[in-house]
Amino acid sequence: MIAILAVAAVTVGTVGLGAIGTRLARTTSDLLVASRAMTPWWNAAAISGEYLSAASFLGIAGLEMQNGITALWQSLGFTAGYLCLLLFVAAPLRRFGSYTISDFAEARLRSPRLRGLASAAVLLIGGFYLVPQLKGAGLALNVVTGAPYFVGVLVVGLVVSLNVGLGGMRGITYVQAFQFWLKVFAIALPACLLLIHLGGLPARAALFGDKYPSVGAKGAVVPLSGPQAVTFPVATRYTIVANTPGATPRTLHAFAGEQTTLPPGKLLLPPHEPVPVASGTTALRGSDWARPVGGSGERSPVFVYSLLIATFLGTMGLPHILVRFYTNPDGPAARHTTVRVLGLLGLFYIFPGIYGALGRVLAPQLYVTGATDTIVLRLPQAAWPGTVGNVLGAITAAGAFAAFLSTSSGLLVSIAGTISHDVWPRLSRERTTTGRVRRLRFRLAAVLGMLAPIAIAFFAQGVDIAVLVGWAFALAASTFCPLFLLGIWWTRLTAAGAACGMVSGAVVATSGIVVGLVLGEPSGVGGALLAQPAIVSVPVAFLAMIVVSLRAAERPTPDAEMLALHAPEGLDLPEMGVRDPFVLGESATRTLG
Amino acid sequence: MPTPEQPSGRTPRDELAEATAHGALYLRRLRQRQLALSLLALIAFGAIVGVLPLAIDIVPQLRHVYILGIPLAIWLLVVPLPPIFLILGALYTRRADALDDSFRELVRRR
Repeated sequence: MIAILAVAAVTVGTVGLGAIGTRLARTTSDLLVASRAMTPWWNAAAISGEYLSAASFLGIAGLEMQNGITALWQSLGFTAGYLCLLLFVAAPLRRFGSYTISDFAEARLRSPRLRGLASAAVLLIGGFYLVPQLKGAGLALNVVTGAPYFVGVLVVGLVVSLNVGLGGMRGITYVQAFQFWLKVFAIALPACLLLIHLGGLPARAALFGDKYPSVGAKGAVVPLSGPQAVTFPVATRYTIVANTPGATPRTLHAFAGEQTTLPPGKLLLPPHEPVPVASGTTALRGSDWARPVGGSGERSPVFVYSLLIATFLGTMGLPHILVRFYTNPDGPAARHTTVRVLGLLGLFYIFPGIYGALGRVLAPQLYVTGATDTIVLRLPQAAWPGTVGNVLGAITAAGAFAAFLSTSSGLLVSIAGTISHDVWPRLSRERTTTGRVRRLRFRLAAVLGMLAPIAIAFFAQGVDIAVLVGWAFALAASTFCPLFLLGIWWTRLTAAGAACGMVSGAVVATSGIVVGLVLGEPSGVGGALLAQPAIVSVPVAFLAMIVVSLRAAERPTPDAEMLALHAPEGLDLPEMGVRDPFVLGESATRTLG
Repeated sequence: MPTPEQPSGRTPRDELAEATAHGALYLRRLRQRQLALSLLALIAFGAIVGVLPLAIDIVPQLRHVYILGIPLAIWLLVVPLPPIFLILGALYTRRADALDDSFRELVRRR
């Protein structure tokens, strides 16, 4: 009940702040980039708030519980991505002055066709990154209220559409900043209180020693909604109460390594008995669970390095992140904002690891169904039964909803901006439009852009969140990352080279993941590379861009573009970059100096 | 930064604004310095982050030494890197802003 109230409060707060933003958003330029008048702290909190998604709030803790401490490399990579952004992209891109990635692609390489390709990539990456957020919302609302999966998907989809359509980005910047601090509070407070309540980490043998996770002194009752295939790591005594009427409890003995399918109903485990794990997952002893690197599969050094590279380079290629850098007033402000983001993200990522570790000890029954993704929501009640646990659980549920709402909002701003700014004028082939028409289009696009992800989220209920997120990161790293790095720092990049690189990078990344899915996620180094193909697809994209560009008949001379990218502010130079199409009142006007 | 020869009566700002050969040269030099600075920071980052997984993998003692009941390898994974990212980022930003400033001074000089 408290949890429902908390989730409702976050949702209403988001819409309310969005409504205040609406009153402030008058021009299209307000809608798209908040008129570029945000201070570094507001921007940094907003960027971090937008970035911390379902994968960060729920996913890392769940993955840690499932696969071990090695999951924490992911949060390191998520943070390090902003260092790469700071070093190579933030200031020049802000100086260039374009609104969207598509603007950058067209203006830097003087190619309208490249703009089309970039827009397609924005829609693809943004759309597929939206699906796991909606999926997370469906699962979370199910845990909190017992509502069916589709309710959460629809609620978050509707709220975000409304908010973006009405408030645009100006509303969103305040909302995102507010949601960042909400998320830090929601993950930090329960973690700290639980650690104090428990007096540190309990049951170290299951965490770092040679024990498998086992149920507590009171035993455990695990409800099973459907047949559940499981593996018993050691010999175990267990009792089954089937759902069928008149069924009597049966007590059985499993031998070590036994695989069996439990019927729907209840699984009763006596005190201190190790829990069976869902098929497809591996039961880990404490010493293996606590090993950051080493061994095979997800803990092999190859996979860890591949993951670090993918997250390090993929972050800059996420369309909803880059668009937010345009709200900085100038290049140095973009740098200072990014440094603050590094600090804010470092603060947040202290806490998810605590949930994964405590969950292994206090809620091991989640291993039976493999639903470790919900540990952040379930841990407070498991660790501290009663009112305190319920209140803390309500706080983490509110934080999780803040995560879904903020990331989806940021993604939808990018998607709606691309649809209304790029796709729509192209389809209708008109050259002149009024500001009112453009604002209406943006608002319609905010509704249209949400429809496809909602539909996919309905059908993709069985697809792993990690697979979709990994695909979006790999795709972003192998298309936009080389486009930005070479486009900003290398004068010889050509439009043909950029197009070839983006297409080949996207093809290699996608086929890696598709092959991995078709083969059923094979184990070993090959399987790890198929699941995380960025380490192959990113070099392929870079190589294609460089080779094709070098073979061009004539050397490009992007002097004006380089001036716009790299000349410091305050020189009173004539404007060189892409001019603000809305200030000039004509979106077709793109003057290069 | 050594100054390229200037025709009399013209400032580097005019050169830049009119995108002449001298202006392009000034800007190329700034771009190269900024890129060198970024690459230096990247190498520092890569050396620190690149060594850590290998070190944890190769040195088993890191997993068997406990501090406050938690293996040293986990402390190394969780604690030092985020502050290092922050320090690296802050240092880079200071240097990059300084490079921009010195360029601005050069261009404004009469």
